[in-house]
Amino acid sequence: MTDLTAFTALGAAQPRLASFEALDIRENPELALASLALRRGSIRPAPFGLHLPEPGRWVAGQGVAAFWVGPDQWMIEAEGRAEENFAADLKQASPDCTVTEQTDGWIVFEIVSRSGRAPLEELLSKLVNIDLADFELGRATRTGLEDMSCFVIRRNETHVAVMGARSFAGSLWHALETAVSRLQT
Amino acid sequence: MTRLSGGLVDRSQTLNFTFDGKQYHGYPGDTLASALLANGVRLMGRSFKYHRPRGVFSAGSEEPNALVELRSGARQEPNTRATVAELFEGLVARSQNRWPSLGFDALAVNDLLSPFFTAGFYYKTFMWPKAFWEMLYEPAIRKAAGLGSLSMQADPDAYDKGFLHCDVLVIGGGPAGLAAVLTAARSGARVILADEDFRLGGRLLAETETLDGAPATDWISALETEFESLPNVRVMRRTTVFGVFDHGIYGAVERVSDHLAEPGDKVRQTLWRITAKRAILASGATERPIAFADNDRPGIMLAGAMRAYANRWAACPSKTIAVFTNNDDGHRTARDLAAKGVHVAAVIDARREARARGDYRVIAGGMVTGSRGRLGLRAIEVSTNGRREWIECGSLGVSGGWNPNVHLTSHHRGRPVWNEALQAFLPGADGPAGLLPVGAAAGHFSTAQTLRSGAEAALRALTELAIAAAPPVLPQSEESGYGVAPIFHVAGKKRAWVDFQNDVTVKDLKIAHAENMRPVEHLKRYTTLGMATDQGKTSNVTGLAVMAELTGKSIPETGTTIFRPPYTPVTISVLGGGDTGPHFRPRRLTPTHNWAEAQGAVFVETGQWMRAEYFPRQSETHWRQSVDRETKAVRSAVGLCDVSTLGKVDVQGADAGEFLNRLYSNVMDTLKVGRVRYGLMLREDGFAYDDGTCARLAEDHYVVTTTTANAGLVYRNMEFARQCLWPELDVQVISTTDAWAQIAVAGPKSRALLTRIVDGFDLSNDAFPFMACAELVVCGGLRARLFRISFSGELAFEIAVPARYGHALMERLMQAGADLGATPYGVEALSVLRVEKGHVGGSELNGQSTAAMLGLGKMVSQKKDAIGAVMSRREGLAGDIRRIVGLQPVERAGKVVAGSHLFTVGAPQNLDTDQGWITSACYSPHVGSMIGLGFLENGDQRIGEVIVAANPVEGESERLRIVPAHFVDPEGARLRD
Repeated sequence: MTDLTAFTALGAAQPRLASFEALDIRENPELALASLALRRGSIRPAPFGLHLPEPGRWVAGQGVAAFWVGPDQWMIEAEGRAEENFAADLKQASPDCTVTEQTDGWIVFEIVSRSGRAPLEELLSKLVNIDLADFELGRATRTGLEDMSCFVIRRNETHVAVMGARSFAGSLWHALETAVSRLQT
Repeated sequence: MTRLSGGLVDRSQTLNFTFDGKQYHGYPGDTLASALLANGVRLMGRSFKYHRPRGVFSAGSEEPNALVELRSGARQEPNTRATVAELFEGLVARSQNRWPSLGFDALAVNDLLSPFFTAGFYYKTFMWPKAFWEMLYEPAIRKAAGLGSLSMQADPDAYDKGFLHCDVLVIGGGPAGLAAVLTAARSGARVILADEDFRLGGRLLAETETLDGAPATDWISALETEFESLPNVRVMRRTTVFGVFDHGIYGAVERVSDHLAEPGDKVRQTLWRITAKRAILASGATERPIAFADNDRPGIMLAGAMRAYANRWAACPSKTIAVFTNNDDGHRTARDLAAKGVHVAAVIDARREARARGDYRVIAGGMVTGSRGRLGLRAIEVSTNGRREWIECGSLGVSGGWNPNVHLTSHHRGRPVWNEALQAFLPGADGPAGLLPVGAAAGHFSTAQTLRSGAEAALRALTELAIAAAPPVLPQSEESGYGVAPIFHVAGKKRAWVDFQNDVTVKDLKIAHAENMRPVEHLKRYTTLGMATDQGKTSNVTGLAVMAELTGKSIPETGTTIFRPPYTPVTISVLGGGDTGPHFRPRRLTPTHNWAEAQGAVFVETGQWMRAEYFPRQSETHWRQSVDRETKAVRSAVGLCDVSTLGKVDVQGADAGEFLNRLYSNVMDTLKVGRVRYGLMLREDGFAYDDGTCARLAEDHYVVTTTTANAGLVYRNMEFARQCLWPELDVQVISTTDAWAQIAVAGPKSRALLTRIVDGFDLSNDAFPFMACAELVVCGGLRARLFRISFSGELAFEIAVPARYGHALMERLMQAGADLGATPYGVEALSVLRVEKGHVGGSELNGQSTAAMLGLGKMVSQKKDAIGAVMSRREGLAGDIRRIVGLQPVERAGKVVAGSHLFTVGAPQNLDTDQGWITSACYSPHVGSMIGLGFLENGDQRIGEVIVAANPVEGESERLRIVPAHFVDPEGARLRD
């Protein structure tokens, strides 16, 4: 184990958490990420038992999840395994596929509502041009957010993840925090 | 005049406000205009050009006259329409465009000089001397003729934006809009109602007619209650839909807290982008005046507005009024005001067959031909069959008919269609797809018609969306006619205003006609008709009707000008979306950003990235001192630079080598595993566009690096090539730019330093030679990638670790290399090092250079094809004889200035003799003078020649010696050491 200290994308030793009236925003540095792409002739795998989803969709399994990111390509998530070489495990689970480590390519913010879906959807309507009627549990999409490219994942009715490129962490946090704080007034 | 009885104001509470410093009071529900009228204030502004006294003219967003500066301090807002400014406690408003006061305006002298200020006077008067236009005329004219003034302070308020989606967007909350919402809401469809007013009801609030025998407000209240109970309905008051954009997208501004003294924690306004499957346009109609001599005195207003002030706001400008009309609607005003106890002196109806609808005098076939009253109307002159009489009145309601608000239907260049019976333009069939005009906006002027049309359009929209709906039971209402006669102006010699805000008169239109500015678009620009902040809502149709009369053409033949967004003025602040200052746009920070900040680094924007430019030490007072020191440290010891911003693309697959062969101009599939090769990419047109390295980590796995600037572009082009050009290739790509922190470790002691952090990895020249790469473990078990590449020309490496460890790795390297002289360096030193080495950068790869110009001609392989390879051999490119050279001043202290152009000594300096230019320049501590790189004709064959670098902008000229573009270690021994 290395003796170097890891810093989160927001530049601190500990992940940032902010609680607002109805919503919590939590930086999630523990999520391991790796992309998985089919090669010519490879059969669509089911890594860790995941049924790889169709475009615009996200599926969750035991501690792992996947969402579609491009033709024959998915992002695989593994909760709490960011410090491991998760990409190597995934490659082992899907040897015929191309696997690329993505863990530190992204900043992941988990946004959870403590008052049902309304505050969450109100927040999303201020941030992203997504038709919320068609953005139920299990939907994932790539979209623009304050001039940043992000993935938005509906983990459940009251839980959305926003993923942006790691280097944008500060700006993305500012955008989320500003929008959430405005909901309270 | 004080308040009338009734009205929709809340008399249980009083609101205090000031206008031009004088204290007044009004009630919740008032607008500034209604409250001023209720306080007996008729004079509210001065006109744009002639500074004529003006009063409120309308009761809505079409207002041309009553523009004020609202609020004070940094929140002062010019050109605010008093008719839509909601009254609040402590409101402060001032009149504008007058000096020293509204009652006595010195610039009213312009009115006496009006013969000189007619249409086109700018173009004729201020011709010479030419230079005076910018220096004198324009500033003087702008100062004299104008609107409100800016606070010159930053806007203290926050603005927001958002996105909404719905099945049906209803624009306008009048009877037609409400009937549409009612129909759609009950079907379960997702409905948004946007209304610019602060109270739903539209024209129903201004009329006395009943619905089902009860006040219309009863019906409206019931609907509001129902809408609020339905989760599928969103009612947005104070929200103006200002434009129709592509694909069913509507722009809307919600004035969240404009009605409050200060927004407090709220945002001031929100810009909404609404995506609607269908939209119903219930924007109503705007009344138009009839132009007559001196028709702009305070107290003269639209008849429908006068009625609205009386019915909704219980306000009337005077105790005695008159009405001038060409249609039945004018009589409503007389009837309603008489019922409120206002004395109606006469209704002058231009139609000969007109008759009274109540207890008031009607002058059938009459025309108003003049008016009196300096700061407010006192009397009007009426001419009937050649007989003239003066009628005393403090206010005159004028109705020349109603123009449907077709603006939004024309935002996609849809052309409105003239309707002879209604004497109005109606929405054409070529409007935006999915936008259905209803109610008065579609030419339905009775309440019964508007209700029906709203419900029917909603049913049609829902049917198209396959949503089942039932027609609602609509309230019983009036089916009145309208009977408008085609009278737009009263002939006469005196000035008759058409466009009040821009001071355009019938006479100006005649001048435009006489001077052949007859097409409507010319007419508009020559006279400025419809070009003010109200965009001619009350004047356009009248203006072109007058032009039609002058040309003898019909109104439809004359046509209309193009309507464009926004429908009403939109603030720049809300369009900006609210983020200002450092948050104006997102920033990308490197993994070592916080570390660099702690070291006191000075940062520079490179695209969206913030990069350390240099790391000043306390004793250093000039940036050059820091940069020279950092540069020397790399040449003599070891330097550390965060290069994470370079694009990194992971390329895998059985055909990855072939794929890269087709993208890079040079060959990549022969690259051995564990090795790196420099690569050049060409655009389709054959010019060079990006360079970088390509490392082969495994047989089927490459890592490509790009320049910082082109990281996104190269990745996008790769995806395009993979998915669209060559889908048959087995190749997968994904960006890993942000995933890895990459640090350049450069200098003769770089190997010594790295040896201290790698876990059992042989860094010797034999084991890990120049252009080697490897995956390895560092710092006690951290996975890393190491590349032996050099941008500086020294022995150098780039080491990459997962981004979260970048900060700690930099600290570790600094710590471990303290005795070796490890020094952080920024992009400024990076640039000096690469110029010294003759490596090309963004200034050379500027999109106009060929591989040959860069000295990389041999990198365009003849053995295989690649994007841009064929085009690079075309005559125009292959014939370019400019080549990259190094440049050094003949005198050691001489300057080398980037951008200077190169000429033969003694030759004249012009485009014909121009031989090239300097692309990059810097002070080189290694050489001890300034140096530069540049493109020069046949440069590679002119080594040793002295040329002139001219910088005519600064009047500078310098003699430079042409040298090879490698100022450091031309043999490349150091980097192979």
